[in-house]
Amino acid sequence: MLRYIIRRIVYMLVTMFVIATVTFFLMKLLPGSPLHNQEKLSPDQQKIILEKYGLNDPLPVQYVRYMGNLVKGDLGVSFQYNNRPVSTMIAERIGPSAVLGFQAVVFGTIVGILLGIIAALKYNTIVDYGATTIAVLGISIPSFVFAGFLQYFLAVKFPIFPVADWGGFKYTVLPSLALSVPVIATVARFMRTELLEILSSDYIMLARAKGVGKRDIILKHALRNALIPIITLLGPMIVNIITGSLVIENIFGIPGLGDQFVRSIMTNDFGMIMGTTLFYSALFIFMVFVVDILYGVIDPRIRLTGGKKS
Amino acid sequence: MNADRLPDLNHLSDELFVPVERKEEQLETIERPSLNNWQDAWIRLKGNKGAVVGLILIILISVMAIIGPSLSGHTYKEQNVAHAKLPPKIPVLEKISWLPFNGKDQDGFDMYKAKNVKEYYWFGTDELGRDLWTRTWYGTRISIYIGILAAAIDLLIGVLYGGISGFYGGKVDDIMQRISEVLMGIPQLIIVILFILVIQPGIMSITLAMVITGWVNMARIVRGQILKLKNQEFVLASRTLGASNARLIVKHLIPNIVGQIVITTMFTVPNAIFTEAFLSFIGLGIRPPEASLGSLVNDGFKSLQTNPYMLIIPSVIISLLILSFNLLADGLRDALDPKMRK
Amino acid sequence: MENILEVKNLHVSFDTHAGEVQAVRGVNFELKKGETLAIVGESGSGKSVTTKAIMRLIPSSSGSIKEGEILFAGKDLTKLSDSEMDQIRGKEISMIFQDPMTSLNPTMTIGKQIMEPLRKHRKLSKVEAKKKAIELLHLVGLPQPEARFKQYPHQFSGGQRQRIVIAIALACNPKILIADEPTTALDVTIQAQILELMKDLQQKMETSIIFITHDLGVVANVADRVAVMYGGQIVEIGTVDEIFYDPRHPYTWGLLASMPSMEIDQNEELKAIPGTPPDLLRPPKGDAFALRSEYALKIDFEYEPPVYKVSDTHLVKSWLLHPEAPEVEPPEIVKQRIRLMPGNYKEPLLVKGV
Repeated sequence: MLRYIIRRIVYMLVTMFVIATVTFFLMKLLPGSPLHNQEKLSPDQQKIILEKYGLNDPLPVQYVRYMGNLVKGDLGVSFQYNNRPVSTMIAERIGPSAVLGFQAVVFGTIVGILLGIIAALKYNTIVDYGATTIAVLGISIPSFVFAGFLQYFLAVKFPIFPVADWGGFKYTVLPSLALSVPVIATVARFMRTELLEILSSDYIMLARAKGVGKRDIILKHALRNALIPIITLLGPMIVNIITGSLVIENIFGIPGLGDQFVRSIMTNDFGMIMGTTLFYSALFIFMVFVVDILYGVIDPRIRLTGGKKS
Repeated sequence: MNADRLPDLNHLSDELFVPVERKEEQLETIERPSLNNWQDAWIRLKGNKGAVVGLILIILISVMAIIGPSLSGHTYKEQNVAHAKLPPKIPVLEKISWLPFNGKDQDGFDMYKAKNVKEYYWFGTDELGRDLWTRTWYGTRISIYIGILAAAIDLLIGVLYGGISGFYGGKVDDIMQRISEVLMGIPQLIIVILFILVIQPGIMSITLAMVITGWVNMARIVRGQILKLKNQEFVLASRTLGASNARLIVKHLIPNIVGQIVITTMFTVPNAIFTEAFLSFIGLGIRPPEASLGSLVNDGFKSLQTNPYMLIIPSVIISLLILSFNLLADGLRDALDPKMRK
Repeated sequence: MENILEVKNLHVSFDTHAGEVQAVRGVNFELKKGETLAIVGESGSGKSVTTKAIMRLIPSSSGSIKEGEILFAGKDLTKLSDSEMDQIRGKEISMIFQDPMTSLNPTMTIGKQIMEPLRKHRKLSKVEAKKKAIELLHLVGLPQPEARFKQYPHQFSGGQRQRIVIAIALACNPKILIADEPTTALDVTIQAQILELMKDLQQKMETSIIFITHDLGVVANVADRVAVMYGGQIVEIGTVDEIFYDPRHPYTWGLLASMPSMEIDQNEELKAIPGTPPDLLRPPKGDAFALRSEYALKIDFEYEPPVYKVSDTHLVKSWLLHPEAPEVEPPEIVKQRIRLMPGNYKEPLLVKGV
């Protein structure tokens, strides 16, 4: 088990290292610097600023300093906002994104699981086709399209919810809903497939041969085994939420990290773009790591054999 | 139950008890004609309603993408500010009042009359007076083109990478696997965004950016299939009979992998279309006057409250496009899954 | 000796894309208390389906019992509801399957899996159930049960898992145990151990066993009576001696002739039965085995054969026992083993109404 954890940590660190390096070199290729909005400075003043950020040093030195900064949590500065540290700006904006993301994941997973269970239990009936169709629609309709529809029908045409902005729970409903759609769809499809496979397995047949009733078969045997692999969906789900948030926050005027990221793209604030990108990557990689560990703990086959699943 | 099960046992003719010559050849004929893999899959695919619907939709949309722009008499970029922001109006359909094709806007105001426009713009016009019917189908072309191009390159790189990795195994495989594992750990969209920032947006750059990490999935699947097949006995049997590497690959491995490759490709296309749309949405995609479904949706959002049709029409089409590919891919996957064979 | 189970005229079919597959086409047999009935036949003969039908484990979306009765403890099992059957499964009739690697829930401790039927059917408390479960594990020969109670299936070997499966099946002292090829997936030495265990337990608990297998060696080892199935029907049924030393159906001859044994004359060839099993989508007219049999008569292709009684305990479904049928000789290998059975009638007797 320990070996398993260590392997996973190594992967995490290597991947982060690679992406940090790639980002660094891309940064150097991109135009833009802390001087961005300060063309009115004299050459001397420019020199001072460049010195301050070490931009006159040779490349390897910059690289090492960059890596060092990363370890300390310094993600660079924004070129647009008066050189404010990126990490500060991220911290300010992460709140709303986290709330929406959390709501979307929780709501989406629960609904998705239920939908998947219903579809599997009523396999090959209208209910199953209906649920599967909803799921396929969920992953097909792009989130911004769905958000658009939601906004139009539930906020403009029939003003049940606010069109945009941030203020209280009701402002989170539509955006969370839009974010949760791909979650529901993915979880439902996965759950259905898993459950169907489990229900036709030998050990379920044996359980039935023991006299275990239909209800207990589902609750005590099938579900537990079906829910475990759902954890593996969390990694890609985070990516989905992150990319979704870029669009959703924009559409609904949410003051979150996604909205800021999009703005920094539009204004070519490369400092901000790079910093945020690193942050997102780290978040994703860390999430995958957590999921891997969790899975190893929950599945007794891995827990007790140190990572070698038969 | 055999209706002639119980004849009168006392009155059976003698000649019924004559032994019958057993013919050896007859024995080895297998009773039911066996369907080969592809025929069986085709039958199952046809029976999958979703897949059929998907296929029909794809064909329809593709046809429209090809001929649509030429039907209207306008190009996708000609502007006519006098005709700006006209709602959709289609002859014949305009008579049906509850359909949104009557040239009247949100408030029932007939914009065509107000601006004294005699022409019919089937999907309406945008804020610069460009014909949306043409732009929409032109944009569909671009979206489909990008989708297929990205999928094709993914396929090429992915199959080669996964193929080499799986076929040769050993050290080669190990190294290649480490590399792709690290690549898989990086969120694809991030890389795409970064690359587009460096190389300015345009059809080629978008496609290239998507391809940089997109092939990893195909490689993984191809490698998995090859590993599975490599160890099966029929490969060993072939080798024992003296088959060369090339023959093995062409006659044995490829036919068994093609199914998976097709399925994965079918899923890559909608993904690529979605990614392009997404990029356009955040401003990193196709720039005007060019159009793609994604950029059209983006433009449409700006007029959500006043002219919703500018959003709704491209949204519906892109959703249908992605949906139909997903349905087809789903159907293909089910059809080629040996476990579902009854 | 009374019958504990009676199967009458059982027909089971499956609905497939291609149509209705008649897997079981009129099966009749009884099971007596304390005896072991072996069912032999090749793949597709209907042996598994028959027993699954008894347990009512065939999902209604795949197939159903089309006709027939299964009489047990005064009830017709075909007419019971699912929840009524739940009371019987695991408690009165138990079943074990072929592959011990996949028969157990991988994420549940084996202790819990054994306690499940105990708590459900016998209403034991957790403590009592645990005690009894450990006793059972001792009984089936699993070393250190107390320590391994909380372990998971993947931590045991195939043979050990099968012992656990047997423990689960016998937990509530069922009247009937159905074993569907329980030793096929195991090593030969382990096979022998498991068979010994089953015989031993049967003695202790007086369970009747239905043992499905395609291995005649196993049959000789465990069975009291044997039913030979082909094409969804029982073609011959009798005591183990009768089947081995006085078989009458060409298919049984075929099976015996293809079985290697130390006693046969070295110069005799083993005969394989040529051809393939019948397509039960369109079951053949007449005798299902006729096409592959070198003893087929014209009538075999016209009418299904009737059932003849060779002795009180020996029944055969074949036209060869009709008075007008020509005299035939079984293959050499089989002939060499033939012994006179004391219980045989002078002439085979036609069984009416079957």
